[in-house]
Amino acid sequence: MAVRSTPVPTDIHDLDPQDFLEEVHSFEFWFQAVEGYLTGLSYGHKPDTLDTPLAEVDRDRLVTVLCNYCVGETAALEGASGLIAIAPNRLAKVFLSTQVADEGRHLEVFLHRLRDLGIKEPEAEVERRASRSLQLFKRRLLELVASKDWEAAIFAQNVILEALEFAVFHSHAQTADPITREVLLGVVKDERRHIGFGENELGRRLAIAPHIRARIGQVKKELDHLVLDTLEETMKHIGVARDEQDRLGRAYLESVERLGFA
Amino acid sequence: MMVEALETEDIGVSDSQGRRRFLLDDTGFDEVPKKYRKFYRKWKGPGDSLAPNEVICPVCKVVIRSTRELRPGDRVYCMPCMSRLVVVRNEAGTLEAHVAY
Repeated sequence: MAVRSTPVPTDIHDLDPQDFLEEVHSFEFWFQAVEGYLTGLSYGHKPDTLDTPLAEVDRDRLVTVLCNYCVGETAALEGASGLIAIAPNRLAKVFLSTQVADEGRHLEVFLHRLRDLGIKEPEAEVERRASRSLQLFKRRLLELVASKDWEAAIFAQNVILEALEFAVFHSHAQTADPITREVLLGVVKDERRHIGFGENELGRRLAIAPHIRARIGQVKKELDHLVLDTLEETMKHIGVARDEQDRLGRAYLESVERLGFA
Repeated sequence: MMVEALETEDIGVSDSQGRRRFLLDDTGFDEVPKKYRKFYRKWKGPGDSLAPNEVICPVCKVVIRSTRELRPGDRVYCMPCMSRLVVVRNEAGTLEAHVAY
């Protein structure tokens, strides 16, 4: 199939729906988008941003949180790369290839931040500190990918996991030290694409094949407690107040509810 | 309704449906290619408000902007999260966007 060159009308909202999808699921779109906010950064932050000395207890908590972020990003990296093979069309395959690049970058910047914080062997530290709930989630996600269950895997990865990361990273950035904040805000910009892809792809699939709803509902039931346990654990380490935890829980559930899984 | 003059200029022209038209300026939103940036801006939180040509994306919370006044039934696109949306009027009488899968 020939790749079309998308015309740019006076108002972007006049685009034909298929032209819109061709545009936003292209590598060209991805490249020009990330160029806008990653140019000039080094490992996700401005080279001249000064690191703030942290109290030992705060540094230790941040290390644990970053270790869990690394688990989530590794899950998404392995999940997205595995999903390319079973993606139902070219646009989904190309989009997932850009997501793989994003997830690889996220893992790299979080590991680099761990090194900045004095962790000599970050990957070994991730193994030591990783949340059990998150590890179980990762294992289940990769099982769904390996079983070639496109809808369930997209739901677990691009709806549940990405919505959780989007909410947590955004909240953490508000109180983080300057370097961690810049790193997180850059990651959040990537996550917008990932959550949008997941919700829209699954929404389209549910519209044409409503019988898959029961299976997705089962996956949600299975994964919900792992996600909410992970959220609670992470928020505790970040030091987020109970009402903010509740707000984040609701934010995580919003996309799931829009898809009809209350 | 607060509209920042440098970001959105009501040029007072109506189209065939009697809608106001707006000139959009780049607001510094850097998450989409340059040619599309003027169609989006960040929501600034409490104290911010939407102009008649703006709605918030329910998926990623970015403000979507159009060159014309929005009305229920209009289709808008959120490029930052790649969502297709339809403008609706909610119970409070304000415009909001719903995802159209």
